[in-house]
Amino acid sequence: MRDPRYDALAELVLDHSLRLQAGEVLRIEGEAVAAPLVVPLHREAIKRGAHVYAALDLGGLKELLVAHGSDEQLGFVSPMELREMDAVDTSITIWTESNTHSFSRADTDRRQRQLAAQRQVAIRRRDRIASGEHRWCGTLSPTQAHAQDADMSLDEYEDFVFRACHVLDDQPVEHWKRVGEQLQARATELDSVRELRIVGEDTDLTAIVEGRSWRAAYGRQNVPDGEVYTSPVETGVSGTIRFRFPAVFGGREVDDARLRFEDGRVVAAEAAGGEDYLKSLLEIDEGASGVGEIAFGLNYEIDRFTRNILFDEKIGGTMHLALGMGFETLGGQNRSALHLDLICDLRREGEVYADGELVWRNGQFLEDPQPARPAERVR
Amino acid sequence: MADVLVGFCAAVREGDLVTLESTTLAAPLLRVLYHRVLEAGAQPLPRIALEGLTDNLLRFGNDEQLAWVNPARKDDIESVDVRIALEAPSNTKRLSNVDPARQARYERSAEPLRNRYLERAAAGELRWVLSAYPTEAAAQDASMSLPEYEDFVFGAAFLDDPDPVARWQEFGERLDRLARFLMTKREFRIVGDGTDLRLVTEGRTWVPSNGRENFPDGEVFTGPVETSAEGEIRFTYPAVFNAREVDDVRLRFEGGEVVQATATRGQEFLREMIAMDDGARRVGEFAFGLNEAVPIFTRNTLFDEKIGGTMHLALGTAYPETGGLNRSALHWDLICDLRSGSEVYADGELVYRDGRFLNGSS
Repeated sequence: MRDPRYDALAELVLDHSLRLQAGEVLRIEGEAVAAPLVVPLHREAIKRGAHVYAALDLGGLKELLVAHGSDEQLGFVSPMELREMDAVDTSITIWTESNTHSFSRADTDRRQRQLAAQRQVAIRRRDRIASGEHRWCGTLSPTQAHAQDADMSLDEYEDFVFRACHVLDDQPVEHWKRVGEQLQARATELDSVRELRIVGEDTDLTAIVEGRSWRAAYGRQNVPDGEVYTSPVETGVSGTIRFRFPAVFGGREVDDARLRFEDGRVVAAEAAGGEDYLKSLLEIDEGASGVGEIAFGLNYEIDRFTRNILFDEKIGGTMHLALGMGFETLGGQNRSALHLDLICDLRREGEVYADGELVWRNGQFLEDPQPARPAERVR
Repeated sequence: MADVLVGFCAAVREGDLVTLESTTLAAPLLRVLYHRVLEAGAQPLPRIALEGLTDNLLRFGNDEQLAWVNPARKDDIESVDVRIALEAPSNTKRLSNVDPARQARYERSAEPLRNRYLERAAAGELRWVLSAYPTEAAAQDASMSLPEYEDFVFGAAFLDDPDPVARWQEFGERLDRLARFLMTKREFRIVGDGTDLRLVTEGRTWVPSNGRENFPDGEVFTGPVETSAEGEIRFTYPAVFNAREVDDVRLRFEGGEVVQATATRGQEFLREMIAMDDGARRVGEFAFGLNEAVPIFTRNTLFDEKIGGTMHLALGTAYPETGGLNRSALHWDLICDLRSGSEVYADGELVYRDGRFLNGSS
């Protein structure tokens, strides 16, 4: 019954992502349906001499809170949980859900209030991560719900997840260290770029990234991982972009979104499905129609869209923009309650120019960047 | 069941912080409890356990890890107003192969938490109720099918009655009368097959256990004078502790302490547990089981100690509200069937025979 792939994923998270030490306190949080990963994480953490416990939720409870809670109950932030965030050295969030659409019919405003209360705990943790007092990683344990979203059987989905995490490799930790070196080199190159231009199907977008730092993501805070990202200059995004993959937010989808930007703000938005929802998201606050992130997905084991942002934003050969909250540590100044990742497939016809030089074609960074082609190449 | 647990047993009030503790197997009942707690205007805080995690710790943990007290658990016990805990095991024998010495170390680490929680409960700052959600594992231990076991559990809790709360209130009044009667006595002598034991309860409080802290319920208990146990007792039922079974336990007491402990099976485990600390050799609880809707032994203390017509002693820690002073990391209930050929004398007078208090006692 024991599946060694779950053990391997647990070991990767503990040894590579968290670098867990004996005597440290580790909190594992998630839904109880993630038990196939929670149990090996706990066991391997015990074997490494850590003090470990799990704070588990049960699918269907928060749904009751959103449906029936009073204002006070919806806004309740557990003082015990806040104190926990101050006390633990490391934590793991398992984003596994027993039903990814359980809030689809919930009252949006009530759900937002419940999420805002929940965010207080996340903010406390984020501050401790930023100050180096806390190490954290988010990952996923495969379930039927996620397999269903990916149009796969659970068996197929497990194969997909474990391939994406590279836990089937002989030395998963070594693999992710190599990825780290490669992506770090890529991020250093991008650090010297002033302006990016992305050209693809119905897409011609310019983003100024001068003065911003690029970050390599190689399995420290997400497993699986594989992207480089930054926050572009807030007023520097212009042009049009089409996102072929559905964008999923709060259990709802926006299909085939097309956005037009002027000076960093969305000035036109349409979508084949969920257009009203998209527009309502853009109006959440001032920062929601600005760009918080621009990134390239570089995990080529993730070769398809599975309706889960942990994987989708890393699909090898894609780029993504996030509307809303930017990364302060990378120089981003956009602030919003929204962080909506929108993924643009650049695998079949996509080119990226860095300060006029072609650096990416058809889903790959080029080894030898080429001078810009004549403008007529570009629609 | 959720209605009775939230409304009657724990009496959840507006603004209460309420932990809901169980395993994932109890999910259907936990969801209803969560909803009822919300309706009462209180804040439900789920605390979901995976049994596999304790197994990990007991199998692979070093001494320091076994002794670690989780600050989050401690904070819960200091902060919450109500605890609702449901037994819902997936496998009651999963710890059978754990080294008893390691298990004892682990139990000792939990002692300060348990003492603090009993202290807050005795002071009226914390309400708690322990109940059970029927699972296959528990049914198997009871030698029943799951549907049979469900009937047993709901029957024991009077949930087959149209008005369970009224039944519990009525039963509670009977237990009150019995407790008042027992308070007038100073010394008890229990006589049966292999049993002739004396205990002094003078100055101690008999507590009627009426469905508030255990559900189902139905016993009266006290903490006897720590030095008073004299004589011998043979426990007719297997003694079950953390899924370990010890058969045909015989104890001999002198001056309140166990001086001889034998068993036909599990004797080593019995002796290891008794050696856990000083308090583990003394009696912390003396009680009579009075729930006639629990007629049979099911290998689960929550039910077994309430079997109508039995008495039990617990080795180890006493409940503070009884006035009992014994403290230990252990609290092990050992149950003795008194339904045939047994007698209990109070201050020399026969008050109980063959599983029932005699007329005039209650």
